[in-house]
Amino acid sequence: MAIPPIAALEIGTSRTVVCVGESGERGRVRITGVGVCPTIGVRKGQIVDLSKVRVGIDKAVKEAEKASGVDIWQVLIALSGGHIQSVVNSGMLAIRSNDHVVSREDMEELGESVNDVLLESDRQLLHTIPLTFTVDDQSGIVKPEGMRCKMLALDVMAIHGLKNRIDNAVNAAKSAKLDVTDVAFSGIGAALSVLTPEHKHNGVALIDLGGGTTSYVAYCNSVFAASGCIAVGGDHITNDVALAFTIPQARAEDVKRRYGSAVIAPDSGNKRVTLPADVGFEERSIGCKALQTVINARVDETLRIVRSRLDDAGVLPHLGAGLILTGGGAYINGVTDLARLVFGLPCRIGVPSNVDGLDGVDQSAALAAVAGLVVHGRNNYEDRGLLSPVKHVLKGWFGR
Amino acid sequence: MKNEDQPAMLLLGVGGGGCRLAASVRAACGAGMRAAGADTDALANRQAAAGGMTCLLLGGSRLAGHGTGGDAIQGRLAAQDDMQNLQSQMKGVRTVVVVACLGGGTGGGATPEIVKALGEMGIATICFATMPFSFEGQARRKEAERVLPIIEESADSLVVVPLDDLFKDAGDDLLLDNAVTLAEGIIAAGMTLLWRLLSKPGFISVDPERLHTMVLRGGNALFGCGSAGGEDRAVKAVEALRGCRLLRSGAALTRANALLLGILAGSDLRLAEVGAVMREVHKACKPGCHVEMGTVLDPFYEGRVELVALAFESWTAAALAVPQAAAAAEPPQDDIVPVRAGGRKVRSKSASKLSFGATGRGKFKGVEPTLHNNHDLDVPTFMRRGIRLER
Repeated sequence: MAIPPIAALEIGTSRTVVCVGESGERGRVRITGVGVCPTIGVRKGQIVDLSKVRVGIDKAVKEAEKASGVDIWQVLIALSGGHIQSVVNSGMLAIRSNDHVVSREDMEELGESVNDVLLESDRQLLHTIPLTFTVDDQSGIVKPEGMRCKMLALDVMAIHGLKNRIDNAVNAAKSAKLDVTDVAFSGIGAALSVLTPEHKHNGVALIDLGGGTTSYVAYCNSVFAASGCIAVGGDHITNDVALAFTIPQARAEDVKRRYGSAVIAPDSGNKRVTLPADVGFEERSIGCKALQTVINARVDETLRIVRSRLDDAGVLPHLGAGLILTGGGAYINGVTDLARLVFGLPCRIGVPSNVDGLDGVDQSAALAAVAGLVVHGRNNYEDRGLLSPVKHVLKGWFGR
Repeated sequence: MKNEDQPAMLLLGVGGGGCRLAASVRAACGAGMRAAGADTDALANRQAAAGGMTCLLLGGSRLAGHGTGGDAIQGRLAAQDDMQNLQSQMKGVRTVVVVACLGGGTGGGATPEIVKALGEMGIATICFATMPFSFEGQARRKEAERVLPIIEESADSLVVVPLDDLFKDAGDDLLLDNAVTLAEGIIAAGMTLLWRLLSKPGFISVDPERLHTMVLRGGNALFGCGSAGGEDRAVKAVEALRGCRLLRSGAALTRANALLLGILAGSDLRLAEVGAVMREVHKACKPGCHVEMGTVLDPFYEGRVELVALAFESWTAAALAVPQAAAAAEPPQDDIVPVRAGGRKVRSKSASKLSFGATGRGKFKGVEPTLHNNHDLDVPTFMRRGIRLER
């Protein structure tokens, strides 16, 4: 099915990205335009200055419009932040038909009831992802249609966030005169653009190392297994470097990108990096080992938190396809090596291979979440048809 | 030991030196005691395992069993790599005696991480840390001094054993190899006495629970031992204890607020001798010093009196006073105890420590903190972990 252009917006901590995608060959999404602008006014994924964020959105939208040749008035938003959590919700349905055979209607009825997740009043549901069915006492069933049973149960993973934080992101887009059709967890977006069915079947964990947050999702046996977000990202590394060597944040960011490494090189003991003089900044040098130690400590800690969460979710022994890193943080030197050590699993950087049009883009893993959101928009559009706008997730609250 | 499956106490050697000391103590005490070793060097681990100790290789995937090469950062990372393994071995243990020689890579790097992790499990930790000899160089000494406060922060009790103190008045002809062996021997002998005191039933017993409580309330300690035989052996043993260099030649006794004293002797120990020991010890300590005493009668010590002491300088009776004061306002409870079972110490050591506070948050100052296990993740990791940077 051909789809109209879909635009996705990610208001990241370090940069705002707009991605436009259209129908491509063989039903794939083709990214036709990308707009990127450094973000000011966001810390740890939270908007702290709406007006500055709006300026960034405007610039990124204009750049994406120019590249894609379409007018953007409607966007999907990729959201991350420490407030995003997930919970497994379960539902049961008695199969009432005389032959006790599970029909499509039974599955839909059960799906509707289990999607109605009871959350605290300040939280908002973002996604409900079906996990597995239980047919009487037989668990782990993926498609129960046609099976004979008296009781059908379904588990879904409900991903939810704080209402006011989601509101802030929607309002930022609205302030830039953009209509919001859907809000999605950035980890889901990254998974949609990067992970293949083989990855999901073999078991995989995707870690999106963003500027202000680190999101993760995991699949085992083709079933969604875990997700979450920690409000620690590349900004923390920069801040650590700035505090360790008493240098300005911008200089620390530059040092991190140029000379930083997540692993401590054995031969870095005596090496030093000279920071040239600038206005109000005298020339000085810093030790490479100290720099690597600062970065190593932070990245190591962050990965270990993700590891412990995946371990708590019981998915760690089932990650046959290993780890995939996305986001700007994936390009820090040595981060895959460190992740390999921390998890004891193979690890690589994941590029958005499920979409076309990003082949020539430098560091395309940093666009994984927003490119995946375009896929998410396409999927929702196909599910609901032309006349049904994609507002089911937010259940109308942002349309008021 | 109350239960073979769930030992109340465990001796854990960390690093090459720590494992050697633990092995010596285990060899002296026999197979009845549970000892474990954790090291990054696979060869040293194999040797320790041959002695019957449970051994855990730290950072096998990172260092391939070759050791840290003296790099404490590698030691720390190696400990983090295998912490879950280590923790799983410690399940059911209430008190862990950690032995480490500071100044090296594994002893200096892994020990703080291990002690911290054990503390988080609710296990009382008493850490015996040796400071390197002066001749080992300034770098090792500085490294050891850097690590001490980090261990102190996490350990319930830290016993610092400066190796130099053992040989202050050694003659010129003392061989280096002998010095190291002798030092290890003295420490291991002292720890063996302590272990026998805890594990062998005696007339007045000091069980692991009592040590557990002392450790939780006592804070840092100095430890020493003394022995004597023949005429007036009780008085002479106390004199030997006072002369013990590990107890700063008696200065530690005069400053101590609490003392855990073990008297180990054969069945020929007379009541008058116990009285003489206590009288002399009270003389050596300052007035009001709380002395917990235990005796072990073992044919092994026939004809001798051996004393082992842990001197707690910062002991405070406040922990007892709090529930007593609370009891006046609340209905009496039978199970009021000064220290929670398996809980952390009442007083906070961190009160005197440098707090990074807002200044350590940099650009995240004023932003809602990201908390994980009571740590503010906005504060740089290297600061929270006390990592020294060679800027």
